[in-house]
Amino acid sequence: MAQPFPYTYYACDCYDSNNTTSSKRASQILAAAEEEDRTFDPRSPRSNYSLYPLEHLLYCEDCQQIRCPRCVLEETLNWYCPSCLFEVPSSVVKSDGNRCTRNCYNCPICTSPMTVNSLDTSNDNGPPYILACPYCHWSTVEIGIEFEKHTGISSQLARIANGGKPIPTQKERDKERERRKELGSRKRDGRDVLSHSEDSPSTDTERDDPPPSHDDVFSNLGAFYKAQIEAQTPSNPFSPHDITFSSPSAYNRIMNLYSNTSSKRNKRQKPAPMREAASLIEGLTVHNPSADAAAIERIKKEGWAATLSPAQKLTQINPNIRFESDLRPIATLLCTKRSKRCRSCRHILSKPESKITSTRYKIKLLALNHIPRLSIRALPSTATMPPPPSSSTQQPQFNYNALNSGIPTHFLLHLSNPLFDPIRVTLATPSTTPGKVQSRVTILCPQFEVGANTDVWDDALSSSLSPIKRGSIINADGQIEAGKIWDRGRNWTSVVIEVVPGFLKPVAGFGQQVDGADGEEELGEDEDVLEIPVFVRIEFEADVNAEERGLGDARGSKGERERREEAFWTVVGVGKIAGM
Amino acid sequence: MSRPTARKAAPKGEYIETDSGNKVSRRSAITGTANITLGGRTVIMADVVLRGDLHPTRAVPSSSGKEVTPTSISIGRCTVISTGSVIKPPSRISRGQTHYYPMKIGDNVFVGPNCTISAISISSHVHIGANVTIHPFALIKENVKILPNTVVPANMVISSGSVVGGRPARIVGEVGEGWGVSGGGAGTGLGVGGGSEEKWVEGGDLRELVRSIK
Repeated sequence: MAQPFPYTYYACDCYDSNNTTSSKRASQILAAAEEEDRTFDPRSPRSNYSLYPLEHLLYCEDCQQIRCPRCVLEETLNWYCPSCLFEVPSSVVKSDGNRCTRNCYNCPICTSPMTVNSLDTSNDNGPPYILACPYCHWSTVEIGIEFEKHTGISSQLARIANGGKPIPTQKERDKERERRKELGSRKRDGRDVLSHSEDSPSTDTERDDPPPSHDDVFSNLGAFYKAQIEAQTPSNPFSPHDITFSSPSAYNRIMNLYSNTSSKRNKRQKPAPMREAASLIEGLTVHNPSADAAAIERIKKEGWAATLSPAQKLTQINPNIRFESDLRPIATLLCTKRSKRCRSCRHILSKPESKITSTRYKIKLLALNHIPRLSIRALPSTATMPPPPSSSTQQPQFNYNALNSGIPTHFLLHLSNPLFDPIRVTLATPSTTPGKVQSRVTILCPQFEVGANTDVWDDALSSSLSPIKRGSIINADGQIEAGKIWDRGRNWTSVVIEVVPGFLKPVAGFGQQVDGADGEEELGEDEDVLEIPVFVRIEFEADVNAEERGLGDARGSKGERERREEAFWTVVGVGKIAGM
Repeated sequence: MSRPTARKAAPKGEYIETDSGNKVSRRSAITGTANITLGGRTVIMADVVLRGDLHPTRAVPSSSGKEVTPTSISIGRCTVISTGSVIKPPSRISRGQTHYYPMKIGDNVFVGPNCTISAISISSHVHIGANVTIHPFALIKENVKILPNTVVPANMVISSGSVVGGRPARIVGEVGEGWGVSGGGAGTGLGVGGGSEEKWVEGGDLRELVRSIK
């Protein structure tokens, strides 16, 4: 999700740390060391997957590391429908699939939720009912479906095909299949006896029927495979035709794999190969050129407007349909509530309450409470005197989407400390940003301290931390002096960072080397975005017991303190460089 | 050293502040004030339209037999309605008559500028971006973020913790676990989270924001 400027993303190094295993050859260790020395490049394709806003990160207190969505394990607590907010038991999810079986449907055209409306004009809201989309006004009338009741839409819809014809149930289908099979075999027998003709026997009968529906083909094929598996108790453990893993044959197969005595005997036998579906009754669909021709004719007549977009097709149960008349309302997909565990130590990092309506968490270990928050914003023009801090709304808005190339701009980098101990912070950044547009970056005060996150009232009562006179860090020329912090508060410190945005097009004789080949190149997408990688290292002394750190008073002198340090990369999105 | 940009002290402030700390802009257009309740510390900015006159007309069965003023819009605490937004209770036509339904907005809800809102209910800690349209009878649960320029279709239920966007609105993601948590009392200072320059976080406690609006 794109965030407006300015933003800060935090890099989780889980991918890199997973790769550095202990058993490595010397060259690899060297490479790894090189990797470590290299600065983080927010433009590399891989960093797309390691940068997160701080709100999305968790923190494992046992590993003392940031945990991003890639390095946690998710466990589903329960399933629920996002539309009717009813919980669906996992057994129902297993049997009926991951869709709501109540009255929740989405429009197949525009995906917005559909409502049940009455077609009754006599003000009684009686039958017939339809599903209608309040957003694009598509309704089931367009596919010829009306309902008798306004509840139990799913079961009613399962019985009606487009156009209002009833859909045969599974039982009826089975019966029909048996009937056809018998018919076919009788016919074949008769022909074989009489004429011994080599014509394919069943084609002429199939021509007359309309093409089988998706469900028909599926049930035919399913029945065929079931029959095949039953006919042949497979002794071959590697039979590729086993499709149902819960079947007794699959159980047999697994038993054969693990018991040596029987498998030896079985190996000798050559398994009779399973045959594939050979006719329509067995679920074979033969390509039918006349259907294609009919589709083309229809497009000629009705135009593109009657066809579906790929996205619309993919949301359908049967993705092979082409026309709007084949659409079915989409049952709403279920959502899950999930708990998260640390991938390396398996401790639970977040666990929501299992009730659907509850938004509370039983356990929630946020990175927000463990690592300092870094934020950036433009410093109001430094040449003039510093503005009163309260009336920042009066200042003209700084346009982050149009940074001026080549003009040194000052930004405030603000660090707030969520820990109950004061921290020492070291910031580092490459002097020029990676990418084609090279901007020069200088952190004027890379080393500083941030106070502890103590009680708010401590700050108010003790006026020792009076604000620094900003005049002292601006010297006579109106320049900001390096090595001094800009401002500080109870648990935050801000420092000045100077950025000279680079040039989108190389300018001759202006510090940048005009590279003939590079100059001609077009800038890629988002090359004008100024993102600064900042390496943050914090050091602090904490109580030994990690669990008590968040709760206990930092001043409750236990005596046992340990030095801790943490380091991570962040990427600060400053803005967009304006073209000239 | 005098303040360079001292606020031109308007004879009366931009906002009228009530006893419970509500700040209502003098330039807002509010109709049917008797049918509107504000929870306290709620901000109604300039050019906001609150249609309190569109209240339920059906007789409310009251035990005391007294005439009860129907509520059309009730807004919770520390909610901010930004400039140019229109809040209009949803209506339904039944038997040839238009019926309005009472609308509820929870606590710490941020409504961005130029929104049109007809939802039946918006729960607490919801962040609504700029230029969002919410059609009648939409139901928005807690901790939801609605991206700018979204159109939420009528009757849509947005379950808690979702991020929605697009026209029509679809669920495009989930808010992180840290939604609305302001990092360790970072109340002082600047720039946290999505509220980039402000002292507040999207979906979090908006008290700081309310305090800063004068």
